[in-house]
Amino acid sequence: MFRKILIANRGEIAVRIIRACRDLDVSPVALYSEADADALHVRMADEAVCVGPPASVESYLNIEAVIAAARKTGAEAIHPGYGFLAENADFARAVEAASIQFIGPSANVMQVMGSKTSARRAAVAAGVPVVPGTVAPLQSFAEAQQVAERYGYPVMLKASAGGGGKGMRLVDSAAELQSAFDTAQSEASAAFGDSELYLEKAVERPRHIEIQVFADAHGNVVHLGERECSIQRRHQKVIEECPSPINDPDLRARMGEAAVLIARSVGYLGAGTVEFLVADATREFYFLEMNTRLQVEHPVTELVTGFDLVREQITVAAGAPLSFTQAEVRWSGHAIECRVYAEDPDNNFFPSPGIISFLQAPAGPGIRDDAGVRSGSEVSIHYDPLISKLAAWGSTRVEAIDRLRRALDEYQIDGIRTTLPFFRRIVRDDEFIAGQLDTGFIARFQDRAWNRAHPGAHQVAEQSSPDETRQRDLALIAAGLHYTRQSKAISLCDAAAPETASGWRLSGRFARLDSRSTLAKSSPTAVPETE
Amino acid sequence: MKLAAELDGQDHEVIVRTEEHAVFARIDGRAYELQINSAAHGEYLLLAGNEVHNCRVENSAQRPGLLVVHVGTRRYEINVTDPRRLNRSAGAGVHHHGSAEIVASMPGKVVRVLVEIGSQVEAGAGIVVVEAMKMQNEMKAPKGGVVVSINLEAGATVNAGDVLAVIE
Repeated sequence: MFRKILIANRGEIAVRIIRACRDLDVSPVALYSEADADALHVRMADEAVCVGPPASVESYLNIEAVIAAARKTGAEAIHPGYGFLAENADFARAVEAASIQFIGPSANVMQVMGSKTSARRAAVAAGVPVVPGTVAPLQSFAEAQQVAERYGYPVMLKASAGGGGKGMRLVDSAAELQSAFDTAQSEASAAFGDSELYLEKAVERPRHIEIQVFADAHGNVVHLGERECSIQRRHQKVIEECPSPINDPDLRARMGEAAVLIARSVGYLGAGTVEFLVADATREFYFLEMNTRLQVEHPVTELVTGFDLVREQITVAAGAPLSFTQAEVRWSGHAIECRVYAEDPDNNFFPSPGIISFLQAPAGPGIRDDAGVRSGSEVSIHYDPLISKLAAWGSTRVEAIDRLRRALDEYQIDGIRTTLPFFRRIVRDDEFIAGQLDTGFIARFQDRAWNRAHPGAHQVAEQSSPDETRQRDLALIAAGLHYTRQSKAISLCDAAAPETASGWRLSGRFARLDSRSTLAKSSPTAVPETE
Repeated sequence: MKLAAELDGQDHEVIVRTEEHAVFARIDGRAYELQINSAAHGEYLLLAGNEVHNCRVENSAQRPGLLVVHVGTRRYEINVTDPRRLNRSAGAGVHHHGSAEIVASMPGKVVRVLVEIGSQVEAGAGIVVVEAMKMQNEMKAPKGGVVVSINLEAGATVNAGDVLAVIE
């Protein structure tokens, strides 16, 4: 086993990996940029090395600086987390060249699976169904037209180097193809420096379901079942669950076998995820892509299978065989995860960086919160705004939703805006509760919310309920109390040297000042009556 | 103490008086008698009879003078002013003498300035584009008028609370 592991990442995933290191009694080394000097992952590590200025290209993406930090601290292995350098074959190669163990698959496998077109070829070679489409990159717009005609609209244009929805366009008709082709190409070139596109038949009401696979260096390849990731906003996953609400053991077994086949055919090592599109009506599935790293949403698989994927990544990288066989993988209960982002759901999910003035994470039965921040942390403008992943486990999907709803209501993050209010609405949505999930869910959910907020002329506008008025009044009272305290505190400081007083004595004093001023300034009738 | 408060564009009259652990309040004439069980670090644990209202109040980091109040899972943005101390009226937004400031809501970089000093703008017109967290946000005019000052140029780095432009 390694004695020391360097974690080439930040935020919640760095914290997650540090925890696995601690479990295994391995010393964790953190990296940080100048903007992260006091970040949570730095506080939790044994050693920490600054790798450069805030901009990630100059720090977390700086391959030389990361490897130099590993050398300097004597780390024997590097865990890349996800994002940043996690799927960068050049990085994996540089780590291998420096005789440091990369926790993940080999650079060659990463390269094959990293390009969507070569990954498709690998899937086809392994006999796994793919969405009908081009295996080679499109050579011209004319070819795109031909292929689209052959498969029939709607079709999907995708960047070969794509990810995160960039360079991806759904095209409903031939008339839209030209402009979609041009935008996808320029987006792909701007985002990935590679304008290569391919085209697929669009699957109607697709579910996005992925299979977790794990391979060791002894020829064992297993799958840990599926994760349903259909709830997406701008092609980014928002809520993930395990198992899929489809919960079809036969489908799971068939998809699992297909995923294992692909992993085995490319000589995979460690944790990986094979993504599929599943047609909601027919339950046909098609290979989409393979992610050669740990996924953001790995906790739902951990909660349902009971295995620690990060621990397993580390032991497998150290040469140990997998700690379980396929037959030992059992799925128990249901888990759902929400990605809590520093984004304002009331303002078109605009990023909301700033200082977290107050944070209280939920706890209790079935609740797991993987956060990368604490009270006082700054959410920086430089990085991904994911601050925490809140997951709930229950013996049934209903129980998991109940617990998630409770935990979301318990979660308090002040100082910045977060997506918590958005999730609080989703877990109360009938379609979500019924498990009617496909990638169009968020769009429909937002339409429903909009229709509720803007009732048509034929509908009666909702009056604000007495409860609502009461809650607003309470908010106004709290604001009034706070305002009064603040202005009193200022005038007290002005008036006299501050005395060492407890909050209660101070507030008692405010109360006296208050009643005096009320008596002096107001007629007796203005004194509020009791209710 | 009689205060004026603005919440979601509505004005309210807020009267609060505390006596030891008791709070007597009147909101637009609706009377409340509450018990205050704790008041530390902006947390106000209020009881209306047996009903628990866990309130947290903080000063908005983005808009000086604005109070952000959380009651349970609800969030309210409240602008409180003391009518007797008008000069302390909260900063950002529309001023009484008719000028409006465009304030950066978060740190970022100015990508484009869309107007010039002296331009006539309508309410809602884009004034500057600020990039933060790899997204571009158009800062809009809170009211119509003439742009009387622009305090930065494209490429400048701004902090939350910086006044970017003033419209009169």
